[in-house]
Amino acid sequence: MSETITRGALLQRVSVWIGGGKSVIGPRQVKPANGSGQEVPVQYGRVASAEELLLSGDTRPANSLKEFFFPRHEKLYGYQFKGRQIELTDTEQPSTEQIIVGGRPCDAAALPVLDHLFNWDYRDETFNRRRELTTIVTIACRSFDSHCFCTSVGSSPVDARGSDVLLLAVDAERYEVRFVTEKGRRLLNGATTTANENATEPAAPPKRFEMEQLKEFLAGGYERPEWKTTTLRCLGCGACAYTCPTCHCFDIVDEGNAAGGLRARNWDACQFGLFTLHASGHNPRHNQAERQRQRIHHKFQIYPDKFGETLCTGCGNCTRNCPVGLGVLSVVEAIAAAPRENQSQK
Amino acid sequence: MQNELRQTCRRLLEEGTVQVVIGYGDGTDGQTFPTFVTRRDDVERLVWNERCYTNLATYLTRPEILALGKAAICVKACDERALVVLEKESQIDRSQLVVIGLACSTDGVKQPKCEACENRTPRWANVTIGDAAGETAKTTADRYAALQAFMQKTPDERMAYWKTELARCVKCYACRQVCPLCYCRQCIADKNRPVVISTSATLKGSFAWQITRAFHLGGRCIGCDECTRVCPAGIDLRLLNLSLARAAEENFNFRAGVDVEAEPIVGAYSERDREEFIR
Amino acid sequence: MSEQQPFEPKIVAYVCNWCTYLGADLAGTNRLEYPANVRIIRLPCTGRIDFNLIIKAFEMGADAVLVSGCHPGDCHYTAGNFHARRRWILFRQLLETMGIDTRRVHFSWISAAEGKKFQQFVTEITETARALGPYQAYREICQAE
Repeated sequence: MSETITRGALLQRVSVWIGGGKSVIGPRQVKPANGSGQEVPVQYGRVASAEELLLSGDTRPANSLKEFFFPRHEKLYGYQFKGRQIELTDTEQPSTEQIIVGGRPCDAAALPVLDHLFNWDYRDETFNRRRELTTIVTIACRSFDSHCFCTSVGSSPVDARGSDVLLLAVDAERYEVRFVTEKGRRLLNGATTTANENATEPAAPPKRFEMEQLKEFLAGGYERPEWKTTTLRCLGCGACAYTCPTCHCFDIVDEGNAAGGLRARNWDACQFGLFTLHASGHNPRHNQAERQRQRIHHKFQIYPDKFGETLCTGCGNCTRNCPVGLGVLSVVEAIAAAPRENQSQK
Repeated sequence: MQNELRQTCRRLLEEGTVQVVIGYGDGTDGQTFPTFVTRRDDVERLVWNERCYTNLATYLTRPEILALGKAAICVKACDERALVVLEKESQIDRSQLVVIGLACSTDGVKQPKCEACENRTPRWANVTIGDAAGETAKTTADRYAALQAFMQKTPDERMAYWKTELARCVKCYACRQVCPLCYCRQCIADKNRPVVISTSATLKGSFAWQITRAFHLGGRCIGCDECTRVCPAGIDLRLLNLSLARAAEENFNFRAGVDVEAEPIVGAYSERDREEFIR
Repeated sequence: MSEQQPFEPKIVAYVCNWCTYLGADLAGTNRLEYPANVRIIRLPCTGRIDFNLIIKAFEMGADAVLVSGCHPGDCHYTAGNFHARRRWILFRQLLETMGIDTRRVHFSWISAAEGKKFQQFVTEITETARALGPYQAYREICQAE
């Protein structure tokens, strides 16, 4: 026996939530095609109506869900100069309830991973507040592309981690509902029916690399030439980090003038040269190979050592959004394959 | 054609004419990615097909690539214009570069920009591979058709358009990094003592950034549209580039990278430039 | 500012050290009165006036911007204003495409002897800006979170 919900019932709930002033977030086309031939991306964003939501479970949004918990620009506090005094003004804490509908499991799974970081040596109030205010309904992926590798990092298209409710398509009109948390059960209370139908498990992307092999390489391969040869084409932009559900580096900046201003937290990315540039002009990571090495190490060695979790959910957004097709998967595939390749050549 | 490309590159590497070939390599799903071939046996990695989008000229000013030695670079006719500008701006030494021109057949690279393509065969390449499907003459109106349509909107509508578009800008700077002509070692957007352009990905910061990016390419942009292709937020940056390209063509009869003899228009002037808007 | 007070436009004038600044100075020494709405910022040459400064002025709440320097042929650095003129031609097109109100961006040549012209032109653009009202559109951009 299982619970099911029809697409109509779900969308009706969405309309009610929007009508009730809640913020509903889900995959949507960012704009109508304008005939320019440019591909119109699907992104997660706040929707103004239920019709905007794309719930097919087929298109992987080009951004991730992290920005609804850890926005790309967040005001920390304001400051005003009052004579010789400085007056600080607190920022209002978020208070709008958020409901995410149609999230991907690989995005939701990133949130518990990020919880460690935002509750580590400092408890980040706004991040935690937004986590509390948000209920997440994910839809199991019905398809995957060549960039997907969730199965390689221990996840899957039906991974319910981080979700409050996981939906699996039974057919075009109905979803099997798997409640993960009480919060999720409360959200869809009364909208589901009990039926004797179970969705078929969607196909999972093939495993692309062995985690053990990768860790072995990372442990002993810091100086390996593959870092350089694999990452030569890296252009040094932040498309990978900014569309990644787990990348969380930020910069603290002051913006203001003689009267006052604000202190804000902005996203930052390890592939930028400026990221590690010292005030002296020295840059400890002075080329893209070193920056890519850092990125992979952080995801698969440093973060796991510190928090016991891999900082990657295998969503593939880094490779998908990279101008030159370079991301975790392409780098890891190349380096994980490296030792054997070298042996066979000798 | 792909074989001819591989043979040419093998020869160049064997003879020691170049130490590295900057070309396209195979990716998954038939996608292609920039690749750097330094050993002659690796020329088999090189491909040439309708998905060779990247303008490889962007690598010619990168220290990591310069360190590999004298280079041969694969360019399409549209990409080639970047070489002209780079040379005029003293960023590359043409005599130290072997240019392998790749001619596009009709079923060649398919990108929005291909619609307005007028020249499918590289003109200044040392070696040109393949036969182009013939040239199509385009009028000025064809070149700026997309801009023309956009300019039918009122100024308020245009502003509203950019507000919704740039609200998605996350400042990943992919547009800058992929651009063959954004070669500054320190970008003004990275200048932080003091900050010139707000680094925040707010509308204020994104407007300031995109105005700056477009204007710094004024009279220089060759229209390869790489910025637009790589934008993860799908912002149609092409419109900004087109507006400056059109201003350059209308006012100075200049198109960047089209004429090797023509002097750049920025950094130069004429006493007869128009000034009816100046009081 | 309370709502009751009449709108007073803020105008930023980037002027060159050698001509327009002296023109403004001459207006002052001749007791030619011009609106206090204009904030003069002196720079070495119009060729040095970065277009970012125009955007910056709008970011900081300007309702109109004036860029002014020596007449063609009179540049202290020979050709700075020629270079500037060429950039303005391109820049204005970009502003048009962005939908930024070009009625709020002014350019002029005002020499050290043209105190009267400075007074008249500044008065004129102040009235234009007053008629246009506050540049709300760009302020909204700058205030968006």
